[in-house]
Amino acid sequence: MIYICTIIFAIIFIIFILNLVRKNKLDEKYSILWLFFSVIIIGVSIYPGILEQISKLFDVYYPPALLLLFAIIILGAYIVHIILIITNQNKMIIKLTQEIALLKEEIMRKDNIKDEK
Amino acid sequence: MKTIIIIPAYNEQETIKKVVNNIYEQYNDVDVAVINDGSTDNTLNEAKCNKKVIIIDLPCNLGIGGAMQTGYLYAYRNNYEIAIQVDADGQHDISYIKQMRNIIEHGQSNMVIGSRFIENTGYKQTFARMLGIKINSMIIKVLTKRRIYDITSGFRAVDRDIIKCFAKDYPYDYPEPATNMQMIIKGKNIKEIPVKMYNRTAGVSSISPLKSVKYMLKVTLSLFLMKIKKDV
Repeated sequence: MIYICTIIFAIIFIIFILNLVRKNKLDEKYSILWLFFSVIIIGVSIYPGILEQISKLFDVYYPPALLLLFAIIILGAYIVHIILIITNQNKMIIKLTQEIALLKEEIMRKDNIKDEK
Repeated sequence: MKTIIIIPAYNEQETIKKVVNNIYEQYNDVDVAVINDGSTDNTLNEAKCNKKVIIIDLPCNLGIGGAMQTGYLYAYRNNYEIAIQVDADGQHDISYIKQMRNIIEHGQSNMVIGSRFIENTGYKQTFARMLGIKINSMIIKVLTKRRIYDITSGFRAVDRDIIKCFAKDYPYDYPEPATNMQMIIKGKNIKEIPVKMYNRTAGVSSISPLKSVKYMLKVTLSLFLMKIKKDV
């Protein structure tokens, strides 16, 4: 039963992500990762044996625990990735703000010179 | 030498005019730039009190680091040889500018810091903040073998060399301790001179006593990180 639920959920998730891309709300490059994971989840749900095999390889007795571990690692890495993007954007915004302020000053100075003439 | 006084101002409508006029009364051969850091009060109009003032008006609040760097960018692009940063709240006694400028002009130092702690000048601090400054001063000493007493002083004069460094890279958080350390690592010559500072007359300090412990811990961390940071 849980496998069927997971598959349905993964398919809904894929549709949701594709729809965001279609509406131009999500960049293609950020959608790839999520689509990739959804496909993996569907794969594991259809063939639960895969997960059990890998679990044996890692000496994990409870296969879903392995799945959760992978999920946590990947989500953690993704958060770091997002923080990197935010940091970079922050720097760009500061730079743009500074340039705007300096341009405003330049325009004001030129206007003043004109006024004096 | 072509000198600019940089005054970053965030909601300092009560004091900014006085600070600017004070400078023009005492010095006639310096330019004054007020960086309005997205103030929500009347700071911008108060700063326009004198026609000579260079007004750099940031469209939104960047915080002290981003505002200060705008001043250094201006100084760098307009070929200033000395830049002096002064607080807009009137804490700094601007009569020391002459001495700071002299030291830079004679090439005795790349940076001059106006320090409250070299001599007892009667400046009152909360205990937590005082302790924090002492601890971080010690950390800089351990990491770089150089002693700076007033690491958070916002009263500093720098030469063209450092203007260039700051225009390129200036920390957005805790800029004073971080840049002091940065410049020591770069091998710049830093001199501290005792200055008198006034306790605030209006407005609120950007660091409230409660937050000062948290602030100092963050400064400590940033100093250690500075040590491992790659030169950009």
